[in-house]
Amino acid sequence: MLRSGGLSPTDPLAARRRGSARLATALAGALALLAYLSRSSDPAAQPVRQRGPLPLGAALALTGNANLYGQDQRMGISLAQGWLHNRPHHRAVELQLEDGASDEPSAIAAFNLLIRRGVIALIGPTLSQQAFAADPIAQRRGVPVVAASNTAKGIPQIGAFISRVSAQSSVIAPLSIDEALRREPGTRRVAVFFAQDDAYSTAETAIFQKVLAARGLTPVSIQRTQLADNDFQNPITAALQQRPQLVVISAQAVDGGNLIRQLRELGYRGQIVVGNGLNTPNIYPICQRWCDGVLIAQAYSPELNTPINRSFRSLFAEANNGRVPGQIAAQAWTAYQVLFEAIQRLQARGGFSGVTLAEARWRLLQELLSGRYNTPLGPIHFRADGEVVQGRFYVAQVRMDGTGRNGRFTLVRERELPEAKP
Amino acid sequence: MIEALLQTLLNGAASGGVYALVALGYTLIFSVLGVINFAQGALFSLGGYLTYLFLGGKIGVNGALPGWGLPVGLPFWLALLVAALGSGAVGLLVERIAFAPLRRRGAEPLLSLITSLGAGVVLVNLLQLLMGAEGYAFPQGAAGLAHLPESLLIGGARIRTIQVLLLAISALAVAGLSLWLENSRSGKAMRAVAEDATTATLLGINSVAVVRLAFLLSGMLAGLGGGLIGMSVSLAGPYFGISYGLKGLAVLVLGGLGSVPGAIVGGLVMGLAEALIPAEASGWRDALAFAILFAVLVLRPSGLLGRRQLEKV
Repeated sequence: MLRSGGLSPTDPLAARRRGSARLATALAGALALLAYLSRSSDPAAQPVRQRGPLPLGAALALTGNANLYGQDQRMGISLAQGWLHNRPHHRAVELQLEDGASDEPSAIAAFNLLIRRGVIALIGPTLSQQAFAADPIAQRRGVPVVAASNTAKGIPQIGAFISRVSAQSSVIAPLSIDEALRREPGTRRVAVFFAQDDAYSTAETAIFQKVLAARGLTPVSIQRTQLADNDFQNPITAALQQRPQLVVISAQAVDGGNLIRQLRELGYRGQIVVGNGLNTPNIYPICQRWCDGVLIAQAYSPELNTPINRSFRSLFAEANNGRVPGQIAAQAWTAYQVLFEAIQRLQARGGFSGVTLAEARWRLLQELLSGRYNTPLGPIHFRADGEVVQGRFYVAQVRMDGTGRNGRFTLVRERELPEAKP
Repeated sequence: MIEALLQTLLNGAASGGVYALVALGYTLIFSVLGVINFAQGALFSLGGYLTYLFLGGKIGVNGALPGWGLPVGLPFWLALLVAALGSGAVGLLVERIAFAPLRRRGAEPLLSLITSLGAGVVLVNLLQLLMGAEGYAFPQGAAGLAHLPESLLIGGARIRTIQVLLLAISALAVAGLSLWLENSRSGKAMRAVAEDATTATLLGINSVAVVRLAFLLSGMLAGLGGGLIGMSVSLAGPYFGISYGLKGLAVLVLGGLGSVPGAIVGGLVMGLAEALIPAEASGWRDALAFAILFAVLVLRPSGLLGRRQLEKV
């Protein structure tokens, strides 16, 4: 039977359309309700607590390959916390520490957890590779991040909320190469090793190779390794066949430490320049007496004679059986210090009064970037994009003691870089 | 040219020896039970940590008992032996927990893959809890090699003395195991159970005891491998044995499941394949090694020295 125009009330098509419309309305309502509920439970939408300590998050590599750095960072932050809280302040800060492990998913999970808990800002994660994965989350949620040890190119450029106190490797790396060439001006043959599965190491080796090219040196051998490697017999023997006079390494502490040891055991006696991944006293037990003589450029020197660095050095030694602090711990202290001081200034001006957490985070970011800080690294401040501006850098050489298990980074040269001067 | 070839052979043999050691552990268990013990990598890690502790090493700041260590360190050779025995004992425990209950219930052998994987994960996590996640290095001169040169020049090719030692110990362990399997009463019993467990039991062989012996020896081989690698490089966290375990598994398949000579040949082939990879592609070593494994299996599914399994119908 043919229908006579129009849709009758009993038309099945019309009934289906009405059903669809009802379903769509119900779904839209449910979504709106969900959005409202999620908004009202989002800590960023809540007003900032006017009393009590402000929660500050830190996601550090306490486990995995990078845990050697994470432990030093935890120590640096904990010392800064104790020192700053014993001084007059307007608002207490409660540190919430999460294990960001040494991989990207763990760093993301730690950032998400801390952001959900309503922290005012974040410190971390430990590795640049993790930062490229986790920082965009903080950026999207409007949470200020201060990177304590991310030195790869492009970290502050992840977004407006991302800043760092760790000077990027392109500023520091050339100094150690120059020192090696100053010591042995006849150097012509350079071998380069880098961990190809680590974002930081690959970025750093590019800088090293650019510096070498600028000094008229073409690497005679470029060896790619991986972070989990521990036996380097193949790449080392391949490189040594080219009779290098200088070896430049971009790796992390454990693999890099093993690489140095095996280079020496296999008879390499020339100079070794290492990158920031090996900038930790934790390499001493790995490469032991073979660490001796390694050159490294640093953003921190324990020998910097300022009151705050003397305090940091003595507190660190007290807590670590007399150990001398390294750059990683100093930068972690600095990350906590800059956030703490920015919070105090903002609190003193009433900047947290009657605002939501989201607004407070934004205000804290502005305060952080506009401040000047006297830190164990020396005086620092930030560029508008969150990049640290630090004027003084150092070249150090590892010197191991007679036991071959302990050593120190001895200062061999101090450089003021006019372009980076605060 | 000859020097480069010799260097490649030495490099390949040095890493291949350890792979063979790990693969032999798998082989022993596979030959008697027809299953793979996925806890082998964890036992490898355990061997490294036990050797470190028996040498007098202290637990790091992230461990459960920071600064704790044995009051007296053992000489390296003794520490290595005791650590291998310790790993063997834990291997036995793995058998009791992850394999025996399933065997008693006549469960699918495939299920023991999961239970052994679980046992391995628990073991590695326990190691992390007790020792922390940090890297450890054996005390300098622990192997008593201080009077020897750090590396040897053999026909123009250079190799670290420690690796020569590692290769020699691996070769001795493999030779000893092969001799034991061929000539001893218990070795023959193990071969009989591997051939046909039911018939071996009917002939009066205690197959349960043979299975336990296989787990003990397999754990000891893994522990020995872990201790030797710890001496050669360092212990890069509790998971360091897992990558060796995976490589050993590949070697087991490459050489032929359940074949002792296959495990040795497979280990050496894998080591040589890695050593042959050009320096520019050294970062892709693992990927290329597994590609070779894939190619061999396509051409010869039973592995290099494996026997084709005949199915009775």
